[in-house]
Amino acid sequence: MNEKQVHKFVQRYLEATQCQVLEKSPCHFTVKLSPDADRELTNRPYYWSFVDRTNAAPETMTYLLVTDREKYDAAQAGTLPAQQRLPGGAFGAAGTAAGSIGSAGAAAFPGAASSVRPDAGIGPANTIASPTVHGDTAGLASTSTVPAGSGSAAAGPAESADSSASTAAADTGQAAAADAALGRSLGFVHGNINQTGLRIPREEMYFGSRKLDQLFGAAKSKGSYVFLFQEPERGAASPYSSTPYTAWLGINMRVEFACDRKREEIHSYGISLATGYCTEQFHDRLQRLKLTPRLPANIHLAKNGLSFNKALSIMEQALERKLKSYDYEWAGAATERLEEELERIRLYYEPLIEHAADDELKQSVREQYEQRQSEIRWQYEPRVTASAINCGIFHLEGIE
Amino acid sequence: MSLDNKQPLHGSSAAPDAALVTRKLHPLVDLQYDRSTFDELQNRIAKNGPWDDWTLYQLSMEAEQAKRIESFEQLQCLRSLPMLEPMPHQISTARKVLHEMGGRAILADEVGLGKTIEAGLVLKEYIVRGLVRRTLILVPASLVLQWVRELNQKFGISAVAQKKAHTWHYDVVVASMDTAKRDPHRDVILGTDYDMVIIDEAHKLKNKKTTNYQFVTELRKKYCLLLTATPVQNNLDELYNLITLLKPGQLGRQSEFAANFVVDKRLPKNEEQLQTALSSIMIRNRRGDGGISFTKRFVKNIPLQLSADEQALYDAVTAFVHERYDESGPDLSSMLPLVTLQREVCSSRDAVFLTLVNMFKKTAEDSPVRAKIWELVEFIKKIEANTKAEKALELVKEMNDKVIIFTEYRATQEYLLQYFRSHDMIAVPYRGGMNRGKKDWMMDLFRGRAQVLIATEAGGEGINLQFCHHMINFDLPWNPMRVEQRIGRVHRLGQTEDVKIYNLCTLGTIEEHIVHLLHEKINMFELVIGELDHILERFEKKDGSLEQQLARMLLESGGSDTELREKISDLASSITQIRDEVQQGPELQAGTQIVSQMTALGQTVEIRHE
Repeated sequence: MNEKQVHKFVQRYLEATQCQVLEKSPCHFTVKLSPDADRELTNRPYYWSFVDRTNAAPETMTYLLVTDREKYDAAQAGTLPAQQRLPGGAFGAAGTAAGSIGSAGAAAFPGAASSVRPDAGIGPANTIASPTVHGDTAGLASTSTVPAGSGSAAAGPAESADSSASTAAADTGQAAAADAALGRSLGFVHGNINQTGLRIPREEMYFGSRKLDQLFGAAKSKGSYVFLFQEPERGAASPYSSTPYTAWLGINMRVEFACDRKREEIHSYGISLATGYCTEQFHDRLQRLKLTPRLPANIHLAKNGLSFNKALSIMEQALERKLKSYDYEWAGAATERLEEELERIRLYYEPLIEHAADDELKQSVREQYEQRQSEIRWQYEPRVTASAINCGIFHLEGIE
Repeated sequence: MSLDNKQPLHGSSAAPDAALVTRKLHPLVDLQYDRSTFDELQNRIAKNGPWDDWTLYQLSMEAEQAKRIESFEQLQCLRSLPMLEPMPHQISTARKVLHEMGGRAILADEVGLGKTIEAGLVLKEYIVRGLVRRTLILVPASLVLQWVRELNQKFGISAVAQKKAHTWHYDVVVASMDTAKRDPHRDVILGTDYDMVIIDEAHKLKNKKTTNYQFVTELRKKYCLLLTATPVQNNLDELYNLITLLKPGQLGRQSEFAANFVVDKRLPKNEEQLQTALSSIMIRNRRGDGGISFTKRFVKNIPLQLSADEQALYDAVTAFVHERYDESGPDLSSMLPLVTLQREVCSSRDAVFLTLVNMFKKTAEDSPVRAKIWELVEFIKKIEANTKAEKALELVKEMNDKVIIFTEYRATQEYLLQYFRSHDMIAVPYRGGMNRGKKDWMMDLFRGRAQVLIATEAGGEGINLQFCHHMINFDLPWNPMRVEQRIGRVHRLGQTEDVKIYNLCTLGTIEEHIVHLLHEKINMFELVIGELDHILERFEKKDGSLEQQLARMLLESGGSDTELREKISDLASSITQIRDEVQQGPELQAGTQIVSQMTALGQTVEIRHE
């Protein structure tokens, strides 16, 4: 999956779960999750069990999802200097860095942004004072006298900021820092605090990243079983005639070929429950159709001619026929390795068992031998496994 | 994360048995159907729902298609690790372990070539392919957190450090061998089938009779990696034992091995055959012989003349030290704090002051020594400026680049922080006592905002400062290994610039001698990484640690500079001799060099950053 594909994937997930996208670009989303998505993605089971039990109004989290790190960072770096040239711009810049959610909030509490953790990478100069303020006994004497603006030497633009503003900023900054600490120890940041532009967790969405994996998992957990109807084309059928529909069992199968290594195939089958007709690449066909969970008007379902189990076994037989036609050289090679390994440890252990000094030792060596044997089988034994990715009942136009 | 989110156990017995159906597919292969999904579908049909969303259904399928493992061979993990750029030898090592060794191997690269990266690649590949889930990683206690961090940050593998009993239930657990082999953990671990076991510093398993070795033998494991830079330390049996852990019988039975490959404990025969036998189970990449493996180091000593006040303090302290030594006789252990005192004067008055105060408290109230200590404090009071600090600031301003300053003393560190701050220079502290999060924070600040990092600790894990290539030794430790550790923070793989090291050295003091010894005599700043260990190990076998020997000389010389100079010169020549021996290598260390001489076990890696 390249950046574009990931971006599209994330977007479709957010739309499907009714998340509220606050801001987006081709390389990121700032999104307030819907309750459903929050349950899947934020790892806060305790919070949700609290909400469920007390019927409290849930407050979902807001994330910055970056789908193209390079472009996003470049864009951020590009906007920063421009904003810093404005009077007091350092604060505003930090606001955007924090994800610019509710930019009004960031503007109202400019100092709040200054407590953004240093890992945000962009912040006004006065944050630099924090290590000395919070550092345990850092510095012999001057800890208490460090003003919030002491870092001004490092960042020229900040000097142009109105000095009274920076004092005020320091105050709000502290309050916000306290809130942030609270948020951290509570394990979540309440949305209201979020609104001040305080801290929006940033997640990198690239193929292999943890958050995207979690999104994959979330899609699977809520995208496994469907029951759908093809939407009739508008105006095609006269209101007085009824269109015949067939129910299909649609299955996406993953087949794993494994020994000490592994490869996989994915097969998609559709079996007509009316006739038992079985077709491949069924998923592709479905994707070309418009499907809806609601029963359309003016249709009638063909009578199911076979049971669910019969349909299933038709699919299994079709898959089996296909798999039987494959080349199993890999399995032969794996079996050869397996035999070799077994022979090697046989030569090692048999004499050991034979010459063991006493029965107890003999027993323990034998156990070790058996353990090694089972490990080798576990490691090398060739096997093929077929399991469903997801499946559903699809009602499609026509009788097949 | 809820259970639903977890990856299904590929091809394992996670699903209820009733849902599994087995068919014969080929004389050698069975096909297993997992029908659990269909049972659930039927269930939902019967209950008329709940039904999932069509978009999510499609996304779920797309995710599976993206994750699909197309071929047996192609390395899948790299595409999911955009942040990691493994070196070519690391990738080829991972491939070899995966494709030719069936996932059981000894990774025996020389120090600094990235065995951890190789192990991480192999592990990640197996995880991505769904062949590994439960993983146990056994490492020395001091490396547990480093492993956890590397796996998480570099490989996106959710590894956890073993802390409590329930930690064992996580998929990837890093623990120390000592913890793991003890009850109650032992039973938990031995009761688990591990898809993969990784053991770092595996040379500690060389002896068959140890509990460590027994424990690892009893582990139930599918794939297994043993990591060590020194697969043979003393004799060939060690190698045999390591291999037996992975593949019993790979080199025949012990007696066959001895007959075929061993002349003497330390001397192999039929070396070619041995290499062939080893090459199916062990990979050893070596650093290029010709190549300078890293960027260059430039070392510059900055000689400094102490101010009159500072010199007065130094002289007074020296006199004080020798007086005490003459009084109490040659009991070295009680004298070491005094030597420290002398060293501290070369660093900062704050450091001396702290030690003096402590000494004052410990001295009996009626002792005449108390008055003498007080006299020294008077000397301290007179000192207005710190010559070294001024020079350091000047250097930092000149460099106009990131720089790390090392000092031995907390008091000096705090003084410097304050001094730099009063001159509008932003410096952040770093020390051993900080917790992990704080250390990380300091690193981030240094990387992002501050020009200067002032550190008291160089050892331990976690500070990798490749983005900085200036280093100031505000004062020098007497243990060359610690100097090397300091340098190692910046001069390591990934450093793209030449490293510049400045030693601040006060003339006419003990410090001058130390800098002279380390820099000019031993030439330690230019030794190959890893060489210093060998030299010191041999040197210290004789007369105790270098630090102690230096302290003794200092005291015994009775304040005579010429005598001290001579003694240190003798010391230097005996170290030089050992260095020459070590560098000549093979004949002298036949046993330990056996494997490192074998070239068929891996590739020679030239690491250069131009």
